[in-house]
Amino acid sequence: MNEPLLDREFLERLERLTIHWQRSFNGLVGGHNRSRFAGGGQEFLDHRHFHDGDDLRAVNWRAYMRLDKMFLKMFQIEPRVPVRLLLDTSASMAAGSGEKFLFARRLAAALCYVGLVRLDTIQVLPFASHLREGKSSGGGRHRYRIAAEFLEALQPAGVTDFFTVVREFLNEYPQRGLVIVISDFLDDSGCEKALQYLADYGNELMLVQLWSDQDRTPPWTGEVDLHDAESGGHLRIQVDEDARRQYTASFDAFSAGIKEVALRNDGKYAGLPTSMPLEDAIFDTMVRARSIA
Amino acid sequence: MEFLNLTFGQFAALFGAVGAFSVALYLLDRNRRKEIVSTLRFWIEPGKAAPVTRRSRIQQPLSLFLQLLGMLLLLLAIAEFQFGGSRNARRDHVLVLDTSAWMGASLPNRPNATLMDAARASALGWLRAVPSADRVLLVRADALATPATSWELDRRNVARAILESQPGATALNLSQSLQFASQMQRGSGSLPGEIVYAGPGRISAREANNMSLPRIPAFRVLAVDDNIENAGLRSVGARRSATDNGTWDILVRARNYGRKPRLVNVTLNFGNIPQGSRPIELPPGEEKEVAFNVHTRAAGILEARLYPRDAFPADNYAALELPELRSLHVVVYSDQPDALRPALASDSRVFAEFHPTAQYSSESGKDGSLVILHHFRPETRPQGNVLWIDPPLDKPPVAIQSRVEHPEGLRWMPDQPLTAGLRARDVQIDSSSVFAPSPKDIRLAEVNSGPIMVASVSDDGKTRSVVMGFDPFAGAMRYELTTPLLLANVLRWVAPDVFRDVDVGTQSAGAVAMPLVSNNGSVQVLTDSGTNLPYNVRDKSVEFFEGESARVRVIAGNSERVYSLTLPEMWDVKWTPPANVRRGIPAWNDSLRRNLDWWPFLAALGAAVLIGEWIAYGRYSPVRLRVVKPNLERAA
Repeated sequence: MNEPLLDREFLERLERLTIHWQRSFNGLVGGHNRSRFAGGGQEFLDHRHFHDGDDLRAVNWRAYMRLDKMFLKMFQIEPRVPVRLLLDTSASMAAGSGEKFLFARRLAAALCYVGLVRLDTIQVLPFASHLREGKSSGGGRHRYRIAAEFLEALQPAGVTDFFTVVREFLNEYPQRGLVIVISDFLDDSGCEKALQYLADYGNELMLVQLWSDQDRTPPWTGEVDLHDAESGGHLRIQVDEDARRQYTASFDAFSAGIKEVALRNDGKYAGLPTSMPLEDAIFDTMVRARSIA
Repeated sequence: MEFLNLTFGQFAALFGAVGAFSVALYLLDRNRRKEIVSTLRFWIEPGKAAPVTRRSRIQQPLSLFLQLLGMLLLLLAIAEFQFGGSRNARRDHVLVLDTSAWMGASLPNRPNATLMDAARASALGWLRAVPSADRVLLVRADALATPATSWELDRRNVARAILESQPGATALNLSQSLQFASQMQRGSGSLPGEIVYAGPGRISAREANNMSLPRIPAFRVLAVDDNIENAGLRSVGARRSATDNGTWDILVRARNYGRKPRLVNVTLNFGNIPQGSRPIELPPGEEKEVAFNVHTRAAGILEARLYPRDAFPADNYAALELPELRSLHVVVYSDQPDALRPALASDSRVFAEFHPTAQYSSESGKDGSLVILHHFRPETRPQGNVLWIDPPLDKPPVAIQSRVEHPEGLRWMPDQPLTAGLRARDVQIDSSSVFAPSPKDIRLAEVNSGPIMVASVSDDGKTRSVVMGFDPFAGAMRYELTTPLLLANVLRWVAPDVFRDVDVGTQSAGAVAMPLVSNNGSVQVLTDSGTNLPYNVRDKSVEFFEGESARVRVIAGNSERVYSLTLPEMWDVKWTPPANVRRGIPAWNDSLRRNLDWWPFLAALGAAVLIGEWIAYGRYSPVRLRVVKPNLERAA
């Protein structure tokens, strides 16, 4: 029997966290983030002029008596926003010792649990070259087991194609909401444009970039035969200290591009090396990125 | 520059092989590293890394250089690299110190000093001249070559072993000692030095005839002058007289080892009682014998002395232990004693006592004597050993089935000691009883009608009895040779210890060869403590080796020889060294030979270089184990 992704003590620590998003979304009452849209809430928001078709029950009849004009009372709502978690299951996530894929599944499980505790509905959507069948979980912490088993059963395979995946996602899920992407974002055709489409359609992005130490700081020197985990292509190169230094600089620039996409669209970004403990990643890095609080 | 353990060619070949192997391993290890990565996009951007154009290329020349350097240093350490030529290299010498018996002789001009003292002084002088870096092995040489030390750098240990060396009891076996020294030198692992012999070089004639010295490139002789006049006993032998049971025939042999004729006296004492003295005139290098008779039946120490005393007293005295002369008491009950008297009187070891049958006493034979019942059966049988001769038909000792006249088809059982040597088939027996023996009885003679002579041993093995159904002392048979032989066999079977042929002799220690009288039985060579000495039977003689003074018994069949190996084994000839050997104490310049041992430093340096290379370039270097912290700020 495989070891569970998260142990009980860690889950108990996660109960005090909440997934946060900045953008206001329409939705059913019952969420925990305020919306700037008026609706059937309990807390007064503002007045506006009455228009035909407005609900007469919201008219401020006292103001009408004094001013002889019809004003409509607007109330603040806290809608349930759909949270969708796109989890990269491409072969590059398993490169090396497979630590990235395990880290990604553990992080996804933790975010699922945080959302379930706050009665959010979280949909886990694995992807590689296409969007794979996902698993929706909601209704409280007792439904965590379903999401965890789904995550444990995932296997890494395939080539990353963000553009196809985003297009399929937007067709499948037109309702806007929070989109958490857990990936290494290593798509040879580039992922920035696809992520921009995702934001342009009104979704709030939370981009979590994972990398292993080998991804950022190659340990080899000398002649190395490198094989791409996804495409199968190989490259025999000669690595020296200068090349390693430039490689790391390129990787950091790539990470900066991912971060820029997120911040430009009022989203959030967290870069997590797999050598970092998951507890530090959630309670330190992601909290500081205001992804959760 | 010198490689002590290897020639330059061997060293170069070895280093070439190791270096080629190391380079091949290096190229295989460094060039075939295959890594699976998440993406290649950051490598293929221009300017990041150079694609490989050659398959095999030395990536880290310093790493390979350090590896080769480390192995070179280790190989130099193994080869015991030294600066300078082989002339100054460390060598191993073997000092063969003569410890033969002759080394106990006094020096002619210094009565209080021996040849051993002179040899020790020469050996110590040579030892002082040996360069301090050279190793020395001391071998003590007499009949055997015995290493007294290991390969020693500490001169005090060798000097102590030299001073503790004492003359032995055997003669020098020089060729064996030099072969042993040469063999030790070949196996030492260092350059061979000298093989030095310190002694007078006196060897046996046997070795001189078959001498085969090994080829020794550096052979030195530290000669000891032994121009000594000496005469000594070569052997003392004692044998029971064939005519008189109470007499020993003593034979003393002496030799003059000197260059002048000598007149010596040989005196004999038995139990501190003088038995006689004889003068012998000994020409130079010759041996002579003198004979003595000693009348005694008792056991005791027989001592032979040679006068006047000379420079080597060890061979002027010999002692041997004479055993008690025993006889067999035979009690004969016969009414015709004259028929048996000649047969029993013929052997001096038999003491016969004749009684008429009417005076029979059942106490006879209690003391281990033999009772002969001649045509007579007493009411109570004797308690000891019995020989029944033609017992009466009434109540015989063995059941009689019939009585036959002139029996035919006489057969002696050849496998029984009682009938050993009896072959005659035409013996005429006038009449005989034919027995019906029990299964325990031993059948000795048979005729066509059945057994006519049987023997038996009591259950406890203490008493023996022989029953003859016929009288060999009557009729025509009394003139046959078979009759005394048969009686002698019976007496020998009843009392084997009495009739065993005993020779006692004094010989020199070392290799002893004793002629075998009969080779029909097992041979035992025993020391005083009863342990068996290894021996070899060759050319009808028994050969064994005893390196120390001891008493050795050799029992072969019916004879026993007792050797008192109290005389030292002496030399026969003086060995003349070849003309090309070195002689005397050498004059080496020690300062030229005092080389520093480089190999520990080379080994340590080689190991340090390899460890440093492993730390700097090894696959598990700390650089690779370091945990890389993410640089988020830089990534931003």
